[in-house]
Formats: sequence, C-alpha cells, structure tokens
Amino acid sequence: MSRSFRVYQKKRGNRRTGSRALGSLGELVFFGIFFLAGCAGLVLIVATVLIPEWRVNHEFVETTCVVRGKEIGSSSGDDGDVYRPEIQIEYEIAGKKYVTTTYDITGSYSSGREDKQAILKRFDIGGKYACWYDPTDPKVAVLVRGYSLFGWLILAVPVVFVLVGGGGFIYRLLHWGKSAEHRAAGNLATDLFERRGRASGDFPNVPAGADMTNSPGTRLKFRLPISTTATLKLVSIGVFCLIWNGIVLGVGFFVWRGLFGPGPVQWVPLLFLIPFALVGIFLVGLFFRQLLITTGVGQTFVEISGHPLFPGEQYDLLVSQAGRLRMNSLSAILVCEEAATYRQGTNTRTETRRVFQRELFNRKSFDIQRGLPLEEGCEMEIPVGMMHSFKSENNEINWKIVIAGNVDRWPDFEREFPVIVYPSQRTEDRGQRTEDRGQRAEGRG
Amino acid sequence: MSEPRVIIDFDENDRPFQPGETISGECRLESFDFEEIKAVEVSVLWYTEGKGDEDLDVREFRRISADDLNWNEFRRPWRFAAVLPNSPLTYDGVILKIRWCVRVRIFPRRGREIVDERTFVLGELKAAQPVEK
Repeated sequence: MSRSFRVYQKKRGNRRTGSRALGSLGELVFFGIFFLAGCAGLVLIVATVLIPEWRVNHEFVETTCVVRGKEIGSSSGDDGDVYRPEIQIEYEIAGKKYVTTTYDITGSYSSGREDKQAILKRFDIGGKYACWYDPTDPKVAVLVRGYSLFGWLILAVPVVFVLVGGGGFIYRLLHWGKSAEHRAAGNLATDLFERRGRASGDFPNVPAGADMTNSPGTRLKFRLPISTTATLKLVSIGVFCLIWNGIVLGVGFFVWRGLFGPGPVQWVPLLFLIPFALVGIFLVGLFFRQLLITTGVGQTFVEISGHPLFPGEQYDLLVSQAGRLRMNSLSAILVCEEAATYRQGTNTRTETRRVFQRELFNRKSFDIQRGLPLEEGCEMEIPVGMMHSFKSENNEINWKIVIAGNVDRWPDFEREFPVIVYPSQRTEDRGQRTEDRGQRAEGRG
Repeated sequence: MSEPRVIIDFDENDRPFQPGETISGECRLESFDFEEIKAVEVSVLWYTEGKGDEDLDVREFRRISADDLNWNEFRRPWRFAAVLPNSPLTYDGVILKIRWCVRVRIFPRRGREIVDERTFVLGELKAAQPVEK
C-alpha cells in the first residue's frame, strides 16, 4: 500500500516518490476552492454594492426630504474604529410620511472621521434636500447617487481569484491522468509507427542569440553585447544596502532617543543594533566597490568574426579596453558553464559549474591612455566534442568570453560577453548516412 | 507466470546516432495480462538529470488506447521510427546530464503505471569535467 499510495514526497524532480494522482487531486481541490471563493466574493460584491448602486442611479425616484438629525456612526473593527455619516431624513410619498436614517445605498463604514464630519456639515437640520427613494420599498432612500470607486476596486480581488482558480482548475483538469510525456508532447501530431522523412534544419533548445548579431563591429563582423550581470549586481547591492541601512537607521533613531532621553539608559537595544550597523557599513563598502568596478573602468568591447559559433571552426576575436588605467594584467578567457535551477521548498536556487575554460590571451603590466584604448586580437576555437549552448526551463549550458582585468590599486574586474555555440556542423554526410541506414532498416523490415 | 516486462529493441544497437538520422526499432510486451491494459504510450524524448529540476521534451509521441483497437493488438510488436533533431545532443556533464531514450509507459486498468525506457546516444560529445575558476 505504501508503495502505491504515498502522501508525502521525499525527493525532487522525476525522483519523486509521492502519489502523482493525489498531488493532482490536491491541486484540483486547491484551485477549485480558490475559484469558489472568488465566485462567492464576486456574488457578494455584485449583490451588495454594484446592483444597489445601479438601482439608485436608474430606478430610484427623486423627491424632497427634510433633515431631522445627523451624527457620525462608528463601529470598531480589527483595524480600529471606522465611521459613516448617519443623517435622519423625513419625506412624504403618496401622502404617507417616512423617516429613515441614511446617506448612501451601501451604508458602509470606512476610516477617516474628518471626511464624514465634512459630509455632515453639508446638511443643516431642518433644511430641505433632494433625496431618492426606492419605488418598490419607499422606506429605503438615499441622499447621494453615483458609483463608489471602492466598489469597483474591490471587485478586482474576487475577479483575480476566479481567473487564477478557474484557469488552474481547467489546466489541471485537461492534464488529469496524462503522463509527463503526454503533457510535453502537447498537440504533437506525429505517428511513430510510420517512417517520416522529417529532418528539421533548426536547433531545438539552442538559444537563438539574435541580439548578438544585431550590432556590427568596427574591425570584425559583430560586436558582442555585454552581459548585464554586473549592472544587475550593482543595482541589487544598492537596493539591499538602502533597505538594510534604512531599517538600521530607523531603529537607531529610537535607540538614540532612548540613550539620551529621560529615564535609565537603554544599553541592550544599542548592543543588539551594533552587529546590524556593522553589516550596513560593510554593505555600503560593497556597493561602492561594485560601483568602482562597474563605472570606474573604461568600456570593454569584444568583436568577433562570426556568430553563432561551431565547434572545430576558427574565429578572430578583438578585445578593446578603454580608460586611463595602469593594468597589472588583462586576459580573455573562453568559458563554458552549466547552470542548474532547482526548488527547495519555496526557494529557487541556481547552481553553476564551470566545465571548460581556455585562456585566449593574457597581457601583463601595461598602461592604457585616455582616448587610446588597448586593442588585442587573437584567434579562438571551440574544441570539437564540446557541448553546444543549451537552454531549457531549469537547465542551461552557457558559453561566454570573460575579460578579466587586474588594475593597479583598483578592484579587479570581470566582464562577460555571452556567445552561442551550435552543435558541430559536420553534417554534409549525415543525410547520406541517414538514407543508407534507412534503406538497410527497411530491407530488414 | 513471469514478471511483465517491456522489451525495446533498436534496429542498430550500441552506436551513437547523429542529428538527422532515423532511429527505428520495435517494442513488445511480454507476460502481460493484455486484457488489463488500458493504454500504451511510446515516446522518443530527451530529459535532464543532475542538480536541477528535470526538464524533458518529446520528439515523437504515440498513445494507443484500448478503446481504439482490440486488446489483442497489444500482443504484437510495434515498429517505431523517428528522425532525430539537431539538438540537444546527449551530454554527460557535471551537474547536468541530457539523456535521449525511447520510453514505453503502460497504463493498466488497475494499479500503478509501468514505465520502461532504453537510452541511446545522440551525437558524440566528450564527458565534461569540472574546472577551477
């Protein structure tokens, strides 16, 4: 029983040991509840806000009333007191007098006592005002018409529930009982049992890399785009540094007041704050170091004689480094890295592993003058037998050219220029091989 | 009665295939209670192994349901043939491996699905080794 019906799962990916049927059922129930909750909320808002407001604007009949009293009604909720204007009016319909306490049709409470006070000021006791009553139930009347923004904004909540819940429920239902292969195949209309001559010329799961060939080089065919990793790193550190130090400064303000204010000195919060403040100082240092690396070194350009790259073929490379720098070394490295993304609970992690690197050049101890960038050319080749670029939902193989600089009395820098490597193109004879083998197989059949 | 098993045979064994080539062969079921089979799926696909969550993509797929044909048909071996794409090639990496296989999945009327597969190699890549930065 335990083998065929496991409630819990203990491993990831295809190595899961839990019950797939139970998992799908759980998802169906989850999305179903989400959908029903959305429907209930939608019905509630439509019935209590939208329809009554529409009726007030289209069906209620105008008459004149006299204000007999006014006050602010209040109610206590979890978030504190909330208020609404309550105005007592008297009006006559078909010779019969009605007295009711009203303002708008929803009668809802909200925060902000001053707003309600301002509303009350517009009505004088004993004064005559227009009001609108329900012809099907004349004791229901209001002093204002129109639509409330709140009603339409709050409508978005159940609508999102309905869309997410309904969409998820339908998706799960459509995939109910389908194997992973069936889901992946989608609408693949293929017949495995009939020989098909299809041999597509495209490269599935190899990134297209269109943005790598849309910038022509000045000396070689293409100028490669730089990876945005360094800029993203700078922005990430900057944002994190701001948030961290903002919190530390906010807490520090109150600790400071406690330290020098009346009463005994509060040492414990101060001691508690010190390690957080030290981390904040470290983050500021890290941010400025990254700022120096990103902006303090002149631009790096990499040009290449062809793209995409194929194993076994030779390419010319030109590296241009600008700035006014005393360099200890500048090197270009051809790199291949595997990247694997996996989920652990609610966290998503990506691990990378370098599986190939080859130094293309390494120039040592030289100066770069302003307006006279260093230009270094070299040849490069992707070795035959190496894996091509690859990208799927959770796994990648990335090729790139890394320019690593060691600047005198300045932080080291690395700039990355991704390239796309295709599978080897030694395919001239593949078509012939396929035909030959196909004929042999048919002969056996 | 011996254990039910799925046999997948390639016409050409033990050699790497090249992109554009056709992989062909046959699969058959042995020692099954054929009346108890609800459906059979045959796929030519690649999947990933390693540190990351599994990805897979199906190159060819066929589902044969007992509703579509007589259960007796399941007794016969089925031929399959699929043209292999240019990528991804079989890869034996450090934290990522890409495998190609022909996978047969049997859906019995009762009990758990039975899955069997036979891997093959697409392309001729070297196994990767980790390098220090």
